[in-house]
Amino acid sequence: MTVAFCGMTHLGLVSAAAAADLGVATLAFDPDAALIARIKAGELPVHEPGLSAAKLRLTAAPSDLAACDVVYIAPDVPTSDDRQSDIAPLTRLIDAVLPHVRRDATIVVLSQVPPGFTRRLWQRDPRFFYQVETLVFGQAVERARKPERIIVGCADPAQKLPVAYASFLAKFNCPILPMRFESAELAKISINLCLAATLSVTNTLAELCEALGADWGEIAPALRLDRRIGPHAYLNAGLGIGGGNIGRDIATVIRLGAEHGTDTSVAQAWLGHSQRRRDWPLMLLAAAHVSQIGILGLAYKEDTASMKNSPALALIDGLAGVRVAAYDPAVNWQDAELAYVKHAHAPLEACADADAIAIMTPWRQFRDLAPAAIADAMRGNLVLDPYRVLDHGACAAAGLDHRVLGRA
Amino acid sequence: MSRTVIVGARGFVGGAIVRRLAEAGMPTLPLGRTDIDLLQPDAGAKLAAQLRPDDAVVLVSAEAPCRDAAGMVRNMAMVRAMAEALAAQPVAHVVNISSDAVYADEPALVSEDTPAAPASPHGAMHRAREVLLSAAVKAPLAHLRPSLLYGAADPHNGYGPNRFRRTAAKDGKIALFGEGEEKRDHVLIDDVAELVRLAIAQRFAGVLNLVTGKSVSFRDIAERIAAMADRPVAIEGSPRRNPVTHRHFDVRARLKAFQQFRPTPIEDGLARAAAPLESVR
Repeated sequence: MTVAFCGMTHLGLVSAAAAADLGVATLAFDPDAALIARIKAGELPVHEPGLSAAKLRLTAAPSDLAACDVVYIAPDVPTSDDRQSDIAPLTRLIDAVLPHVRRDATIVVLSQVPPGFTRRLWQRDPRFFYQVETLVFGQAVERARKPERIIVGCADPAQKLPVAYASFLAKFNCPILPMRFESAELAKISINLCLAATLSVTNTLAELCEALGADWGEIAPALRLDRRIGPHAYLNAGLGIGGGNIGRDIATVIRLGAEHGTDTSVAQAWLGHSQRRRDWPLMLLAAAHVSQIGILGLAYKEDTASMKNSPALALIDGLAGVRVAAYDPAVNWQDAELAYVKHAHAPLEACADADAIAIMTPWRQFRDLAPAAIADAMRGNLVLDPYRVLDHGACAAAGLDHRVLGRA
Repeated sequence: MSRTVIVGARGFVGGAIVRRLAEAGMPTLPLGRTDIDLLQPDAGAKLAAQLRPDDAVVLVSAEAPCRDAAGMVRNMAMVRAMAEALAAQPVAHVVNISSDAVYADEPALVSEDTPAAPASPHGAMHRAREVLLSAAVKAPLAHLRPSLLYGAADPHNGYGPNRFRRTAAKDGKIALFGEGEEKRDHVLIDDVAELVRLAIAQRFAGVLNLVTGKSVSFRDIAERIAAMADRPVAIEGSPRRNPVTHRHFDVRARLKAFQQFRPTPIEDGLARAAAPLESVR
């Protein structure tokens, strides 16, 4: 059995690598020959712990797809600033791939698509299935290898899955949930909205904690022990909802609600509150007199180089007239949005002479920073540490004014 | 530097704006009712004759508070004159002084994104004024919505710092509605004038709430004023007739628009407002 993945950006590459790790012959196709050449040379387009393309058969020739029993269509779907998906590149890839796929092969759309998309494809070509991706930036390889379950969208869930596809999925050793196309497409959105709901509760109550003298850090563990909430619930206070995909899915639900006359005002409120919490550092800095700031972390979360929807960039954008030095272990410094930011090559270099510092991405290595060393490097003493990377007591002992989310 | 025309320059707000712009060395043309009575039929033409294409115009004139239909009609006549003047003589920038009364009285966090839903004739007047000016003005247009104003020269005697200061001085007491639990955002007139200056300097367009972002209770203000008085002041509560409501403002839009601005803390503002009226005038 040979499985192909088409579209070698984050989703396709990680999913292909996971399949290859299971011992399945895996073809990795992208029409961009230069991209394929770079991956062959070991230059991966994404930063993910444990990601390797070594076991993949990489190709830019669509004719190679003729050898495959299951063909995944897996490019990342870009989202615009107004949280709309652009599925045109996905559609182009499908059109390019389709003539080369064997008649008895199964085609699986793995990219996230709006409800109704896959059924329209299936009406054109009954080889199509849809499979929900649940990648998490920074944990993508692990989750692709060991999914909690696999959700499969089909025209008729009562029918057995094609043999090759079913035997490939069986290798993941997890529950397989076939359902109609629309349910599967909406299941993906439902997962993200459940996460958004939890994050919104967390961020709302964290803000209230700051006003009441409570500490969300004390409350969250109590909630995790509640069986109805659970140990893995998204209860860490953050700078808004974060990440582009959850925001995109909230926008999709709002749009679908408007189209079908469903009340989605609660989802609109999540977005509004998310925007507000994203500006938490800006609100605190406005109360201080800051002419130079050091920013530790630019990526939107740890273990990724992605700056899409990064709170650090939002902060920098709101800091006109303030000198900014920043350090991040992974992001690409060629990005135009960093044109006016001084590139520090070490965390303490970003802290040097700063009136305030903001730890905007909870990279693991920042936990090893000694508050005393930070205090020595800084001119001022204001430390905005939304994710509680540093130890509060040690910061206080070093004379730092250590502010975190969810505690006064 | 281009000139700023202040329409309604003799009032509490207009006067403060004129003084602030003058302090900042900005040329001004202050116009009061004695210069142009906006209720007169020829007011639009008269005002247009005073304007130049590179002017910034600050529209402060209003009959406030607007309490009823007759007040609304007079205020709309004034807006008509403003709109006619700005149509006849376009200018470079227009700043309309509106009010936070355009928002509904709901216990919510208010931002510029909060839909305007005025419940009072005064709020409806300001909202109508915003809508009519937006329809008439082609230049960059700012609607600035101050919250509850206070300052030494305030001629109004509304519930709040100004009245508290006067009754404390005159009668040795401050009367509260209920126990004065309601939290409101009280903004010092000097801060409003400074924000208007910044809006003109940066040619700000759009809606902005002129607020501090820190709401305090009426009791808190009463206690601060009592503490500043040179004689004992009794703070008297009264049976509550209306439920307690609070209003807080989200100031992120202001932070982004005018990063250099710092609102005057209430304790400093009350001290400044406590200066004798004569010394301010």
